[in-house]
Amino acid sequence: MEPSLSPSPCLQYSPPELASPPSDFNLSDMRKLMDGHNLQDRDWLFGLMIQSKLFNPRFSGGRVFVSPDYNQSMEQQREMTMKRIHYLLDCGVFQEWLTGRGPEVEMRKFALHEVIGMYDHSLAVKLGVHYFLWGGAIQFFGTKRHHDKWLRDTENYVIKGCFAMTELGHGSNVRGIETVTTYDSKTGEFVINSPCESAQKYWIGGAANHATHTIVFSQLNINGKSEGVHAFIAQIRDTDGNICPNVRVADCGHKIGLNGVDNGRIWFDNVRIPRENLLNSVADVSPDGQYLSAIKDPDQRFAAFLAPLTSGRVTIATSAVYSSKMSLAIAIRYSLTRRAFSITPNQPEVLLLDYPSHQRRLLPLLAKTYAMSFAANYLKMIYVKRTPESNKTIHVVSSAFKAILTWHNMRTLQECREACGGQGLKTENRIGQMKGEYDVQSTFEGDNNILMQQVSKALLAEYIAVQKRNRPFKGLGLEHMNKSCPVIPSQLTSSTLRSSQFQTDIFCLRERDLLIRFAAEMSQLQAQGLSREYALLQSYQLAEDLGRAFSDRAILQTFLDAEAAVSSGPLKSMLSLLRSMHVLIILEEDASFLRYGYLSPDNAAGIRKEVTILCSELRPHALALVSSFGIPDAFLSPIAFNWIDANSWSSVQPQQGATVPL
Amino acid sequence: MTVMAPPGSTNGDGEQVLVEENLFLRTLILNRPRQLNALSFQMVSKLLELFVAYEDDCNVKLVILKGNGRAFCAGGDVAAVVRDINGGDWRLGAKFFWKEFILNYVMATYSKPQVSILNGIVMGGGAGASMHGRFRIATENSVFAMPETALGLFPDVGASYFLSRLSGFFGEYVGLTGARLDGAEMLACGLATHFVPSARLSLLEAALCKLDSGAPATISSILDEYSQQPHLKENSAYHKLAVINRCFSRRTIEEILSTLEREAVNSADNWISATIQSLQKASPTSLKISLRSIREGRLQDVGQCLTCEYRMVCHVLQGEVSKDFFEGCRAILLDKDKNPKWEPSRLEQINESMVEQYFSKVDDEEWEDLKLPAKFSFSASLLAKL
Repeated sequence: MEPSLSPSPCLQYSPPELASPPSDFNLSDMRKLMDGHNLQDRDWLFGLMIQSKLFNPRFSGGRVFVSPDYNQSMEQQREMTMKRIHYLLDCGVFQEWLTGRGPEVEMRKFALHEVIGMYDHSLAVKLGVHYFLWGGAIQFFGTKRHHDKWLRDTENYVIKGCFAMTELGHGSNVRGIETVTTYDSKTGEFVINSPCESAQKYWIGGAANHATHTIVFSQLNINGKSEGVHAFIAQIRDTDGNICPNVRVADCGHKIGLNGVDNGRIWFDNVRIPRENLLNSVADVSPDGQYLSAIKDPDQRFAAFLAPLTSGRVTIATSAVYSSKMSLAIAIRYSLTRRAFSITPNQPEVLLLDYPSHQRRLLPLLAKTYAMSFAANYLKMIYVKRTPESNKTIHVVSSAFKAILTWHNMRTLQECREACGGQGLKTENRIGQMKGEYDVQSTFEGDNNILMQQVSKALLAEYIAVQKRNRPFKGLGLEHMNKSCPVIPSQLTSSTLRSSQFQTDIFCLRERDLLIRFAAEMSQLQAQGLSREYALLQSYQLAEDLGRAFSDRAILQTFLDAEAAVSSGPLKSMLSLLRSMHVLIILEEDASFLRYGYLSPDNAAGIRKEVTILCSELRPHALALVSSFGIPDAFLSPIAFNWIDANSWSSVQPQQGATVPL
Repeated sequence: MTVMAPPGSTNGDGEQVLVEENLFLRTLILNRPRQLNALSFQMVSKLLELFVAYEDDCNVKLVILKGNGRAFCAGGDVAAVVRDINGGDWRLGAKFFWKEFILNYVMATYSKPQVSILNGIVMGGGAGASMHGRFRIATENSVFAMPETALGLFPDVGASYFLSRLSGFFGEYVGLTGARLDGAEMLACGLATHFVPSARLSLLEAALCKLDSGAPATISSILDEYSQQPHLKENSAYHKLAVINRCFSRRTIEEILSTLEREAVNSADNWISATIQSLQKASPTSLKISLRSIREGRLQDVGQCLTCEYRMVCHVLQGEVSKDFFEGCRAILLDKDKNPKWEPSRLEQINESMVEQYFSKVDDEEWEDLKLPAKFSFSASLLAKL
């Protein structure tokens, strides 16, 4: 029989609010918990960007959205980045970023930097290079003479700094760099050289167009003896922007993202700098050319040297979380308004987020993003409260969190992009573009895999030290190893799975067991005559599993701590639901639980079922959970709102909006 | 034409809102000319009742709102509110604002076009009764201001929504200093959508009477016919947008003031010193809560803005942190000595937690957050009309 042709009614946009019951927890309380600090400063900065034409406001579907015009050429994008920096500078955003002191100043700086990254990663990276790398190097590696001379001018952009550490031939292995600096006692100057092509400085943000000065990382050669890597200040451009003599600069060219940052390459040909330009907090050279350092061991010297650079990893980790929040807010709002396929004839099509499979794709990532948010807040907190004693913890935790949070972000971006279907491919909808913009995060400031190896290595060292000195574990959250081994019930009921006791136990069990296995394998390999270094290479699988185990346990701890600070009520219940989702999805996805037998196959199957149930329980709260991210509408994208209006014929007609001046 | 009450014949006890019916047009006339059409509780209630009724009335396609006499509307009748409160309970005052804010919300989310003819003074509550509507007609007689900070209040009636959406940081400037704008400036900054010389208003109204459609494009083309491009006066604040943005974009009132003072050193401009003076004369508490309100409003929808403003106004009426509103009304409206004694008297005496308190729920058993009429939520017209 021919189906009768009747006109079907047009699709109407129905806002996500209509597909979501009112939230039972308070959104602004949740936002306070998530953002953690400086909320008004954040909102002020959002406003500064929304109100300025420099931030490329565009009208779509009756709303304003701000995001860079990625259709501009690389050169245009770089100039826009610089203009935006000057605007924010004039508004006082960077006040005290280098001249201020103390945890409050640092937290404000982090908050504002996070907000800037939500607008554009290029803008955040360009600022990060200038303030955190160049400025941070002067603060941390320099002494009073450097502080007095450079910090205020840097804060006010009187000079523009960059940070030349990476070379063509050496990235994460900073100790292998080939740039060489010698000292000329006759003139009291250092002489910097790039002895070969592989020694050219590479990926130096700011070097290609704008930077006037750079930190140069170089081997220091005194009287024929190499004293290891040191940092110097060199000028590379004059105030008119001309390249200085004996310096050669080239562009790194167009990249898969971050084209608003002018990454360049630098060669030094006998560049002479005054003796005072050695950043001498750890070691110095006297006018007559004697090398002076309080730290005799070059390994320790190097470690002391790089320790303060953790701030880069802290900002990368937190900005990864905000990127995940943006993509989830867009994809989840879209999934609450976009329908596909009817499951019963003549009925409306089904909302994307009402498909259990779609819930399974997005909601676990949402729960994990909550967990990572608490982890990032904890990381910031231990960083700003750092003491010489906490340096090791900060190094290990920042390495682990940087890797885990940035990997999580890339995965979230890809899933959200796919969840938005074709609309996800449009640059205006942000998520797809962000994949290119944020990809670099798994590489810069330490390759993620290498960072994770460092985590396992640090844990191993701790284990060996405890065994050797016969003392209890203290620090890095390893105290649980002093207790007896947790026992996992053979029958895992839903309420067990959702209990913080079980969740903590199974993560601790995994970490404990993997650390013991890793140590055992290492000692076995070394007993066979392998060197420690070679044995480490061979044990990479256990090292990887252990790195994950440490990170998961540490992140869970930050979640539990955040939860403990909230008084009973709907907000706390929501957090507990999110935590269970976060833990169970790890139990479901990470093969190590089955591989090493922490879970039986039956239990693994039970967990998979529980995840489905958690998905359906989170579904009604999805909108409230992304609204709690506190991202202004203008920073989301057209598909997060009325995408039918945004794509209407009238929206492409020139007279639109012309009647209302603004 | 049906005239429910003869225009100009009433004040005090008479009809405070006149209604003219014409085909699909309803013209509402604020009719308290001696009080510059200040909105009484009775007027707000009447307007709300009419607007709600017209929403569902298919015979109404367009609403005009205008004032009788030389004012469109000089604001809410706060003197009456203060009298009420002095006589007893702050909750009586809160009732007025509740009703007024609901009216503002209904206007902001209205599905039918509202044309407000602003041929005279438009201040405070008057701005609230017009700025949320689709079309705002300024004339050479228009005088716009949000003078609340000089009164110990803050720009309410949804001003945190409409001021924060003006270009750059002009909204902060207008809201904090209480600066007066003329019709040309209103058009330039977007507070008005059209400028029509007052001599042409009757012709314009006659043209609108004949309309059989409420399509914004149709109305817009009629308004365009009678509009002209006014000349922005040479010393207009709108020409100072660069300085305004530089100063009023600052994070705090203190920084706004110090940036203005730095600018003043480098320029002999009277405008800057007048701006500094108006900030110095305003209630310090008002300045702080107003800035925060505008900043938060920039990131919120109109319903959230009004809800937040309602919390704020209840705290103002309660007078727990500061009683500046009563002092302001005394000095400006009642005793008219124009010399209010603000308490706290200096900006640095007002800390974060004092400001925070204005944005929190009110600790009172009977108190509740503003309840927005659900019917008007999520409507397509929720979008900014500015």
